[in-house]
Amino acid sequence: MLWLALHFPRLAVETHLPQAPCVVVDKDRVHALDVVAEAAGIVPGMRLSAALGLAPTLSVLARDPERERMALHALACWSGNFTPHVSVLAPAALLLEISGCLRLFGGLSSLHARIQEGCARLGWSLQAAMAPTPLAAYWLALAGETVRVSDKEELPRALARLPVEVLGPDANAMRRLASFGVRHVGDLLGLPRDGLAHRFGPQLPLALARALGEMPDPQPWFVFPERFAQRIELMAPVASTQALLFVAKRLVGALAGWLAARVAGVGACELVLEHADDIPATHVVLGMAGVTRHADRIERVLRERLERLQLAAPVEYVGLRAEAPEALPGATDSLFGEVAVDALAPLIERLRARLGEDRVGGLAVVADHRPECATALQALGRKTTGGLGQGARPLCLLGKPVSLPEIDGRPCRDGPLQLLAGPERIESGWWDSGEEQGKARGDVRRDYFVALTRRGEWLWIFRDQGGWFWQGVFA
Amino acid sequence: MALPVPLLADVLLRPDVWRGDSLARESGEGAPSGFPELDAELPGGGWPRGALTELLCAQQGIGELSLLRPALASASQEGWLGFVSPPYALHAPAWASAGIALDRLWLVRAEAARDAAWSSEQMIASGALSVVLAWLPKADAYSLRRLQLAAEGQRTLVFVFRPLACAGTASPAPLRLKLEAGADARLAVQLLKRRGPPCTRVLSLPVLRPVAVPRLPAQTNPVPRARSPRLARST
Repeated sequence: MLWLALHFPRLAVETHLPQAPCVVVDKDRVHALDVVAEAAGIVPGMRLSAALGLAPTLSVLARDPERERMALHALACWSGNFTPHVSVLAPAALLLEISGCLRLFGGLSSLHARIQEGCARLGWSLQAAMAPTPLAAYWLALAGETVRVSDKEELPRALARLPVEVLGPDANAMRRLASFGVRHVGDLLGLPRDGLAHRFGPQLPLALARALGEMPDPQPWFVFPERFAQRIELMAPVASTQALLFVAKRLVGALAGWLAARVAGVGACELVLEHADDIPATHVVLGMAGVTRHADRIERVLRERLERLQLAAPVEYVGLRAEAPEALPGATDSLFGEVAVDALAPLIERLRARLGEDRVGGLAVVADHRPECATALQALGRKTTGGLGQGARPLCLLGKPVSLPEIDGRPCRDGPLQLLAGPERIESGWWDSGEEQGKARGDVRRDYFVALTRRGEWLWIFRDQGGWFWQGVFA
Repeated sequence: MALPVPLLADVLLRPDVWRGDSLARESGEGAPSGFPELDAELPGGGWPRGALTELLCAQQGIGELSLLRPALASASQEGWLGFVSPPYALHAPAWASAGIALDRLWLVRAEAARDAAWSSEQMIASGALSVVLAWLPKADAYSLRRLQLAAEGQRTLVFVFRPLACAGTASPAPLRLKLEAGADARLAVQLLKRRGPPCTRVLSLPVLRPVAVPRLPAQTNPVPRARSPRLARST
């Protein structure tokens, strides 16, 4: 077993997406801070007044343990992208069991690089370490050592340099250890275990035994939820859709990880934007062409939809919901490199997201003699059969037939028309009541002709009891 | 230090360099248009792949799509066809009987001119479609340049329909054709621009027409009077 521990040292701050510099305060003492505040000289544990003295433009936020827990839950879902065996270590760490997935990602370096890149894109700072036991990996990550320990024999040497603070937040025990002169874990490992048990209770030697791999350390696995429904509270109400994109990216990343862990995909998910007071929430449905679990495809559709969205009111909460995942095993490449409809799905989604769902489609022939009813729009790539054997038909039809004036008994359009073929009588649709709106065109009784204008245009015209009309173009 | 001097023969092999009296050599084979007279005048022996072909028509219905019908029919056997913002609705039975597989046809209806140009660019740049036909009456040279850049390096046939008024303005398309109704129900095609010497003669191409044109002059064609209904027989 190989364990990768991910420690998020600034989770409390980054979950708020604040302006820099920023600190999170717990009972008047600084609990967590961001990079800019750290550069100004603030350290955790400092009093708030001292911190404000060092950086007057500091923004101060109260610590919210519930928010941190939800952020860690979302990060656990996101790490489903890499492995389904995830364990959550409160308050700000995750343990990933990666021995099964190392080969899939091409080795530890590339897996580590992908995790780093993913976290950087979503705005989380990360410390990662790998070890054969979970507790050792966690301690190494807490201390900020980015090391890879592959053998149990190397563990004592790797853990030797760590400060004893990684063992836990028990201030009493730390003080006593300091009074012994024990500053590093290496010193602690050198002391006899039963003496430690006698002075500090059984927990400390047990922890050391588990870290060194002498005792088994089963971890409770994180259970990926049945339905994905996460929401993030924004620090301040946001009125522009651009600012929502970054928050929504985190939700999409968590969704993609959740789907990867369940080996499933979604065809549609719903973005819920909640406003203040009693204004009803805005629901934006993101539909994909086909079932997918790729985060960048969902993000692209999301970006297109957000660009076209007009917000009714400033947004306070952003939520993402996906109801029914469908099983989606990994795709196999086709042998001869054909471009199937699935490969075109990202292009179709992009076009639909910008133009509208019903603006991109294919054509189908409907078995109806009436020309305006003989074409139907349908989903792309579907084969249809049907259609009636007919005479000459124009490639293009007008939306509504245009009335033609009649001079000396001949229809005219920029001059008298020369009728070359016809009449072809089409009589159909006796069952339609003939409302103008909708598909029903009513009873049709027309004589169709092929006409040539003076300028050489080929038109398809008809005559019915209302007179002469122009309906098609032989393009 | 002297730079290596390329041989003239190597330079002439490039698709964008040609001698004044010969057609350019295209980097790939052109798609046969179905009209040998036209293929003889086109560089590459057919419609150029990976480059814009601009079709300027004075009127609708003179046979502009019938000119492309053979190339579209053969392309729909293997690949996908995309139609962006056609001015009229497409009549599916006619396309099916013209030999084009309807399940390979994409119809993209974009209202705004900018959306139509963007859709065309996305479809060309993806490289997934064999043919893209776009009606862009309001496109300017800048949009066409973007389409041309998107098409370079792909194997897509790109046809852009623009009104005849644009014939006088410069365009980045390497092939520009002017289509007009010719005598005897043929289509008069004039090559305004091509990669080669300017084409002086006007081609008269026998595109497929719905009916054969009778030789009688127009005035003696009688108008049939409205009669009692009889069984329809297509002519």
